[in-house]
Amino acid sequence: MIELKGLTKRYAGKSVVDDISLTLEDGEFGVLIGPSGCGKSTTLKMINRLIPASGGQILLNGDDVADLPVEQLRRRIGYAIQSTGLFPHWDVARNIATVPQLLKWPKSRIDDRVDELMALFHLDPAEFRGKYPHQLSGGQAQRVGVARALAADPEVLLMDEPFGAVDPLTREVLQAEMKRVHQQTGKTIVFVTHDMDEALSLATRIALLNQGRLVQYDRPIELMVEPADDFVREFIGQADLGLKLLSRRWVHQYQREARLQQTETLDSLHAHGWLIDDQGRPSALAGARLDDADAITRVKPEWIATPEMSMKEALSRMVWYRVMVLPVVDDAGKLIGEVGMQGVMGMQDEPEGALS
Amino acid sequence: MNAPVASSHRASRLTQVRARASGNLVLGGLIIVLVALTLGMGALEPLFHALFPELRNPLYARDSFLNLMLAHIGLVLVSSLISVTIGIAAGLFVTRPVGREFEPMVSSLAAIGQTFPPAAVLAIAVPLAGFGFAPTIIALSLYGLLPVIQNTIAGLGTVPQTTLEAARGNGMSRTQILMRVELPLAMRVIIAGIRVSVIINIGTATIGSTVGAKSLGTPLIAGLVGNNLAYVIQGALLVGLLAIVTDLLFERLERRYSFGG
Ligand SMILES: Nc1ncnc2c1ncn2[C@@H]1O[C@H](COP(=O)(O)OP(=O)(O)OP(=O)(O)O)[C@@H](O)[C@H]1O
Ligand SMILES: [Mg+2]
Repeated sequence: MIELKGLTKRYAGKSVVDDISLTLEDGEFGVLIGPSGCGKSTTLKMINRLIPASGGQILLNGDDVADLPVEQLRRRIGYAIQSTGLFPHWDVARNIATVPQLLKWPKSRIDDRVDELMALFHLDPAEFRGKYPHQLSGGQAQRVGVARALAADPEVLLMDEPFGAVDPLTREVLQAEMKRVHQQTGKTIVFVTHDMDEALSLATRIALLNQGRLVQYDRPIELMVEPADDFVREFIGQADLGLKLLSRRWVHQYQREARLQQTETLDSLHAHGWLIDDQGRPSALAGARLDDADAITRVKPEWIATPEMSMKEALSRMVWYRVMVLPVVDDAGKLIGEVGMQGVMGMQDEPEGALS
Repeated sequence: MNAPVASSHRASRLTQVRARASGNLVLGGLIIVLVALTLGMGALEPLFHALFPELRNPLYARDSFLNLMLAHIGLVLVSSLISVTIGIAAGLFVTRPVGREFEPMVSSLAAIGQTFPPAAVLAIAVPLAGFGFAPTIIALSLYGLLPVIQNTIAGLGTVPQTTLEAARGNGMSRTQILMRVELPLAMRVIIAGIRVSVIINIGTATIGSTVGAKSLGTPLIAGLVGNNLAYVIQGALLVGLLAIVTDLLFERLERRYSFGG
């Protein structure tokens, strides 16, 4: 758990971080976001004391960071930055082993840990252990940077725009990986970005900063549906707010019962119905095509939805494949419901459920 | 799509390997010539007789070339050790927070030291340290200081700020950052400075003979004074070879410390 209490940083009398207080519980993915120069990096670096605070207090699992020997503190905190900061004269394995070596772990334990982390980031040890940073792609270097930050199993992971310098495609892959790593390790993470989409897709908590002050600290969905003021509203972006909202809502919240039918004829009483095979998997959809409302359509894997899929993605598939409803299937591929274009406008269950 | 890239990569690797192999050959050959001439210059006596028929003694014989070579190497080794120790220490000092304000002063002092001609430095050193070995060492050490200081400062300056931030962020102490990150990364540039310093001193050490320090400059000076061109050639040949061999050895040492840019 990280607690910031009245945290302040002044340069020449001017506060660039101004009285910030917030608490991040264990296992949360906290994102610091705001315009350039609002004090995100400064706030982050005060946590591992790369920058000394001018006022206030930071507690790491109850310990005041100011009271801990600084090197010891930093070995308890993982730190990953945009430029990776990998040591160019060390190979991948040695880079990842940085903190375990400082902590004087036995060699066999270090080797095991390096392999474990490389597996976590899908880097084949046989291929990558002995490579040097200049032999890595941007995405690979970034993975190694995060692996190094996690090496000694730190209590918290600090990340300063780690994916800011990679191309958009790689960034999405890395974001998905970060999400998975967060789920697998349960680490408490403080992550700096100025990309709202990145924040919304990764965060469990978002702290929006402006000119050194904390404007709003909330869960992503609350930031969108209950923005504290015009600044927040503007920063989130008006243009595709609806879509952003859907990116934080899940198919299972909108799921309805699917009506089954036996024959491949259109039942005119009902708008549409599903045919299933002998294993309960959806095989065809009768009706509900945008262009030809009476057609019988074979179900294609590309437009099948799962309960964990975001509504933004489900909607995107409906639009792209020109169907008004998608079948929802379980892990075994069995039809368990449907999600439809009409459903997008209103949730099926109570709003509390969506705030998660 | 990958094949041509891979094969051209392999080709460039191959030429690299070839270049290195021929480099080995050149270096090995030069070392053999250097040793052979140092030990067996006498075998060339007929040649020098033929080249300089007017000279009665065309082969320098007041001392063995081995002795002269060892004395010369000794002068360079001792003075370079002093230059490197003081130079790196000064370079480190002015790049640490405590010494940062001394950086301009140290840099310009070292630069001024180099603008004096070595003979002038010797002329000043003799009344202070007497004749022979000591004043020569003083002159050479001062003279070799600048490249080491300059390159130590420059080399440490090439270490990226983000690398240092990562080192601090990962919990390295100041000493650990210096020993594990800064010095290894700066080493290539520092060695380049030492290389320049040593090569300058191999040449300059010959002047030590004018104040009585034994070196490969002794036959050279004797030849100049006694109008014996053969002595001059014998001394100059060995000094030149020694400089080239040393330079090639440093080149290889430098190459060990390059980490792909
Ligand atoms: N050493 C310093 N001296 C004076 N002012 C500083 C110093 N470091 C940072 N600042 C100022 O503090 C403010 C916050 O800087 P910070 O790096 O935290 O911004 P940021 O939110 O991370 O911005 P970005 O998104 O551009 O990285 C900026 O206005 C910056 O100019
Ligand atoms: Mg920043």
